[in-house]
Amino acid sequence: MNGKEILDLRQVVRGRAPGWAMATALCGLLSLGAASAGTPAPPGSGEGAGTVSDRKLAHVTPGKSTKAQVQALLGEPWRVVQFNDCGKAMDGQSDETWDYRGRDSAGTFRVHIEFDESGVTHLVAKIPDHVLGDKGTAATIAPDERMAKMGM
Amino acid sequence: MSIRKGSRFVIGSGLAIALTLASATQVFAQVYPPYGPDIPVITNAEPRSGAYNEDLAREPAPNPWNEESIWNMKVEGFNDNQARPIYQPLIVDQDGREILYLGNLAGTALNPLTGKQESNGTSIVDVTDVKRPKFLFHIPGPAPIDASYAAAGAQMARVCGGNTLPNASANGTAGHWYLLRAFGNAGADESHQIWDVTQPASPKFVTTVLGHLSNTHKSWWECDTGIAYLVAGSKSDGWQQSGSTQHLYIYDLSNPAKPVFIRQFGLVGQQPTAPVATAQPCTTAPSDTCYEGTTNPPAGIHGPISMGTTVDRVYMPYGVSSEGVIQIDDRLKLINGCRRSGPAGSNTNASLNCANSPTQADLLWPQISWITMNPENGAHSSMPIFNVPIPEEQANYLNGQPQSKSLLFVSSEGTANNCYGQAPHDAWILDIANEATPWPIATLNVPQYPGNFCGKGARFGAHAVTETIYPPYYGKIISVSWFNAGVRVWDIRDPKNPKPVAYYIQAPNENTESSCSTINGTTKCFNATMNDYVEYDDRGYLYAADRAGTGVTILSLTGEARNAILPPSE
Repeated sequence: MNGKEILDLRQVVRGRAPGWAMATALCGLLSLGAASAGTPAPPGSGEGAGTVSDRKLAHVTPGKSTKAQVQALLGEPWRVVQFNDCGKAMDGQSDETWDYRGRDSAGTFRVHIEFDESGVTHLVAKIPDHVLGDKGTAATIAPDERMAKMGM
Repeated sequence: MSIRKGSRFVIGSGLAIALTLASATQVFAQVYPPYGPDIPVITNAEPRSGAYNEDLAREPAPNPWNEESIWNMKVEGFNDNQARPIYQPLIVDQDGREILYLGNLAGTALNPLTGKQESNGTSIVDVTDVKRPKFLFHIPGPAPIDASYAAAGAQMARVCGGNTLPNASANGTAGHWYLLRAFGNAGADESHQIWDVTQPASPKFVTTVLGHLSNTHKSWWECDTGIAYLVAGSKSDGWQQSGSTQHLYIYDLSNPAKPVFIRQFGLVGQQPTAPVATAQPCTTAPSDTCYEGTTNPPAGIHGPISMGTTVDRVYMPYGVSSEGVIQIDDRLKLINGCRRSGPAGSNTNASLNCANSPTQADLLWPQISWITMNPENGAHSSMPIFNVPIPEEQANYLNGQPQSKSLLFVSSEGTANNCYGQAPHDAWILDIANEATPWPIATLNVPQYPGNFCGKGARFGAHAVTETIYPPYYGKIISVSWFNAGVRVWDIRDPKNPKPVAYYIQAPNENTESSCSTINGTTKCFNATMNDYVEYDDRGYLYAADRAGTGVTILSLTGEARNAILPPSE
């Protein structure tokens, strides 16, 4: 358990976050335990074994998990990107993306979590920093996600 | 149009070009708009055949998506910009130091200089040594609202030297440098700010020029006059726009600490009193209550470009990515048109509320012309280049004398990932020799293949045309940012037949923000770079700024691209 998670948990206990956040945070912490999570690197470090483990990530559910829940579970993101432009949201790019860094046996990766305008997760992906070829990386989206209708 | 006597550069002079390229000077960009009034002269030194580059090697296909692709360019330097996504780069020769200002899109990232997560704002990088750019400072942007960064970012930057601003001694601006930046994008309380960046590593806030806005975007600041054209909108100003809800607020920023409001301005049909419910198009049903363009109310402006006191024109692109209109305005009538008497451009018939709630007649006073685009495209950029010799028309035509054209380079903006659901977005060359009747003469297009850019992830399409006047490139080449197809350079010496001459597509790195799409039922994320803007400095380096957080790459021209700016004998 790291400092950030302790802080988040305290916020939950003090009633600063809703019950679902508390449940999610506790679930994440209990399921992960102290051993595998290791000590996340400070935000922006870009390194740190176990910054986001697969087990933690599995608790982020497209269509359900909110920003507060994700932060309670994973801590502060390494980076946030919001592509709004020209005074208006552009064609589905009004979404806010939270990025986390991590490393596993295959190398470094980013966890890419997109939130819709209401702050609910709608896409989650674990993306290797160096993708071989042009294959892209599969992502998980909410069942009713708008992009699912974008057949080509 | 005058030419600066004793100018250190005459286009077409091989020796001058060679000397220029060999030794950096700070003079070039500092005398041309927005820093000064002069316009470079383009001398035709090319064969009359106009057959430039017919012997060029065919444009090579790009490498696989996860690799860099480069043609007739060389990477000189790089800075990761703290992994922040960049909107606009601006390079200023600041007392002998080349300072790069980067306006960033919204979000947050760690600033290693402070050890803190900071909301994306304005990055300041010393690029005097392009091989070793040094990140000096990050001025944070707005904090998130209700845990959302949707309204944040500081996308735009303009910089003026206090010595260039009018009345420097009286205003106390001498020796200072000032940054004008947007603070926020589209939200509840956006603004335009002034910072003192005399010491670029320790900028100081000066004032808020205009606050309580709902929108900001790409402003323009004439350094030699102090006139600033701020792109803005507020929910209380009453102005009406479709799409991007923004128009112009014109200020006198001669003394940056004491902004003086001049007027608001927009297309006919955007003014607060326009009867949107009943207005008809000015093209087919002209009246004193019509609207210009293809949508009612007309789409908002993106970013004006003034060519200063010599040319006395302001070029205005509306619509960004759709419902586009390009407008040419008389600068003095624009600035002074709400005055009933006094300086040139004043209008004895100006209405009493002209400055904030103009009549249609008030808006028409400075308007020289406007042209409506195909509504599938908008006007994002509109950059003029004056008196470009037409090589095939050096004899015989008209009066038998060498013919030149003044040109307007206009780009639309591709906005959708994977090209999905929108028309292709290109750039165009308009003939504005007769400025009352602008007319397109050529298209600048990047084909989808080779490269399969619509399947690569991220945006594909035109975005912005370079705005810096760098004389060796002026009238010779034009550079356009093309998102996932990178920086694109065309040889425009024969503007009716522009030829691709260079490109650079940055490879993704560990900071590249992925773009995710669902195609045929499968959702995938791609690490694709997106060149958002390309800009020049006054040494001829090109700065390719990445929208996906991959950093800023400093480039130089090589091969045929370099040859394009040199006479055939060089």
